[in-house]
Amino acid sequence: MMGIDALQVQFLALALFGLGLATALTRRNLFFLLMGVEIMLNAANLSFVGFSRTLPGVASNDGLVVPVFVIALAAAEACVGLAMLILVFRTRESLDSDAYSRMKE
Amino acid sequence: MEHLAQIYFGLFAVIALACATGVLLARHPINAAMALIGLMTSLSGIYAILHAPFLAVLQVLVYAGAIIMLLVFVIMVLGGAKDDHTPRFDLTGLLLLLVPAALVAVLARTFRGQHLSNAASAVRGTVDKTGELLFANSTGYVVLFEAVSLVLLGAVVSAVLLSKRDLDTTKENKA
Repeated sequence: MMGIDALQVQFLALALFGLGLATALTRRNLFFLLMGVEIMLNAANLSFVGFSRTLPGVASNDGLVVPVFVIALAAAEACVGLAMLILVFRTRESLDSDAYSRMKE
Repeated sequence: MEHLAQIYFGLFAVIALACATGVLLARHPINAAMALIGLMTSLSGIYAILHAPFLAVLQVLVYAGAIIMLLVFVIMVLGGAKDDHTPRFDLTGLLLLLVPAALVAVLARTFRGQHLSNAASAVRGTVDKTGELLFANSTGYVVLFEAVSLVLLGAVVSAVLLSKRDLDTTKENKA
């Protein structure tokens, strides 16, 4: 049906997930933390779609439903995450994640 | 036809990887957000090649259209240029790079020996096919769908509440 190797899709998803994780872990700016999470969610979606294409018949569409939910949840996450980001930015005036290491106080 | 799909997949994969690397290395959040748009768009192209046109459209509409727009809006509101003094990486962060590197190495090793092939009878994931599955009584995705609508409502309400509490604290500070 299609000329794309299913493993190539998984390797691309893996590379994207690795880059997203690296962005979320290493960057100190809070915006990059959120962007890293978005990249990881997208990599998981791509993996879902890639694996669903290996199933025969109607089952090949099962993996397309989950990304719909993931995209909706990513929208909710971005909405709340950015609202919180604005809130904490107004109290500390900094986007460096190290500035928020003493939030308990 | 087969070769064309292969060529386009390679093209989109290279763009996606370059954009993800751009997000990792970008100096300013706005540059990263622009790279993220490129990533979302190329992923949408890959979904289209993988016969999932519904997801491809959703990806552009929700991710490139709504989420990144919100992100860019917030970056603009907060004046991201202020943040030039925050270093991009520090020593701890560079050491933490070992974690994703190890994860990718282990998973790539696992994938390498596998044989995975696309099913010849795979159905094209159009809107009606995906919708049938989403709202079929046998699969139970309807419950999940309703739960997601509740989560979205909660997200909107909590975002409003968060901004409202912020107004209250500024009032207290002034008083």
